[in-house]
Amino acid sequence: MSDTASQPDASYLLRKLHSFTGVLPVGAFLAEHFWSNSAALVDPRKYDEVSRDLQTIPFRLVVEWAFIFLPILFHGLYGIYIWLRGKSNVSAYPWVGNWQYVAQRYTGLIAFAYIGWHLYTERWLTHGKSTYATVAQDMANPWYLAFFVVGILASSFHLGVGIWNFLCKWGLATTAKAQEAAGRLGVVIGVAFSFVGILIVLSFRLNWHPFAFYYINK
Amino acid sequence: MAETKKVIVKVKRQAGPNDPARREEFSLSWRPSMNVIICLRDIAENPVTRDGKKTTPITYDSNCLEEICGSCAMLINGKARMACSALVDQLEQPIRLEPLTKFPLVRDLSVDRQFMFESLKRVKAWIPIDGTYHLGEGPRVSPEVQAKGYPLSHCITCGNCLEVCPQVNEHNQFMGAAIISQVRLFNMHPTGAMNKRERLEAVMGPGGIQECANAQNCVKACPKGIPLTESIAEVNRDAWKQALLGWFLG
Ligand code: HEM
Ligand code: SF4
Ligand code: FES
Repeated sequence: MSDTASQPDASYLLRKLHSFTGVLPVGAFLAEHFWSNSAALVDPRKYDEVSRDLQTIPFRLVVEWAFIFLPILFHGLYGIYIWLRGKSNVSAYPWVGNWQYVAQRYTGLIAFAYIGWHLYTERWLTHGKSTYATVAQDMANPWYLAFFVVGILASSFHLGVGIWNFLCKWGLATTAKAQEAAGRLGVVIGVAFSFVGILIVLSFRLNWHPFAFYYINK
Repeated sequence: MAETKKVIVKVKRQAGPNDPARREEFSLSWRPSMNVIICLRDIAENPVTRDGKKTTPITYDSNCLEEICGSCAMLINGKARMACSALVDQLEQPIRLEPLTKFPLVRDLSVDRQFMFESLKRVKAWIPIDGTYHLGEGPRVSPEVQAKGYPLSHCITCGNCLEVCPQVNEHNQFMGAAIISQVRLFNMHPTGAMNKRERLEAVMGPGGIQECANAQNCVKACPKGIPLTESIAEVNRDAWKQALLGWFLG
């Protein structure tokens, strides 16, 4: 048709990439991470077996950087850039969506700080060989414990609101009714992640293994 | 005789964009069905402040007085609203009037919405029907499309949706919900759809739809009840599909 038509702006592509990375792979990794760590709910031995399997995957560093570290780094840093280009007005317009907009930024930042610290203590200091014992030892520290809880709640909230955002922003939920349904899905995801995350923390803290009877000796 | 009820109005005044701002308070006689434009007219008739100082009439925009022209948007008690439909009896007093903050100030309560009109031009928010010869009849519009398009055509370019949007600010040239909703309107029309690709490309350009962060304030602030979040989601879907197909298929 017209030759003057322009290609999508770089900011368009980056913004879409930011949105996409939030769900894939970052959100998916959060799900995987909660899933594999919930092995603690079965048995410390089960936890160490699962950890060992993950710690001995082939191409480990490539997989970690390509699917975990770099996407989180990009999503987090670009998220801060997006934050700086917005100007919150929630005091003048205290509507739910507007509050979520603000909370999405603070929970993202908290998650970013938490993930950095979490990687340092559970990945760097242990040379990538954390075990049930090393994690349980960290959880014994009340400050560590508190940061774990805050980090889990912030990440779960951020993912829940994020799923809702994602469904709206890619036009997968368009009508007001569909967007309300997407919002309910976000709530379910946020609550489910918070719940499982806190169960895992309790498991380490109290040496509590509600699914112990599932365990089968190797 | 009981003394007539008073209406207290507090107006932010500024002679020009670079002049200092000041507040002036007025005490007006209450009348039934009084709205904010009537207050401003009463002040113009007798421009004397509450403490008896003579001043100048307040500059503001208005035209239709029935929420149809879009010119009278301003901050009323801190919220973006149409002055002609803001009834005094429903407002907390003193009624605080300030200009919209997201558009360049002209004077007092009058702002310049040129940014919106430029954005409408960028996205070709019209249906081209003129040619050098008679183009013949266009395709028929289905009743379904008519029913969806009609509410979108109610936009009065008042700018309230830009005013309340956290993504519209001095660091960010986001075109805002109204413009995106017009893209949807003209793209859904069978003749307008002939320029669909160009509109979507414009909407993916600088300050385009990507700047929306889904705070969803626009839909709450729109005086015409336009389903703006639905429009943004629809255009978002068309946009990324086009970007993806353009990438793969050239
Ligand atoms: C636990 C890790 C994280 C997960 C699972 C995650 C997930 C998501 C998801 C799914 C979205 C919605 C995508 C969209 O808006 O379309 C999102 C949005 C967002 N994320 Fe994250 N995110 C994480 C970490 C972060 C970090 C560290 C930051 C840094 C501050 C951040 C900042 C943001 C911002 C500002 C948005 C909103 C973007 C917008 O409104 O357009 N996120 N995130
Ligand atoms: S969409 Fe609504 S709020 Fe936005 S300019 Fe049009 S009428 Fe005003
Ligand atoms: S005067 Fe026209 S909308 Fe208020």
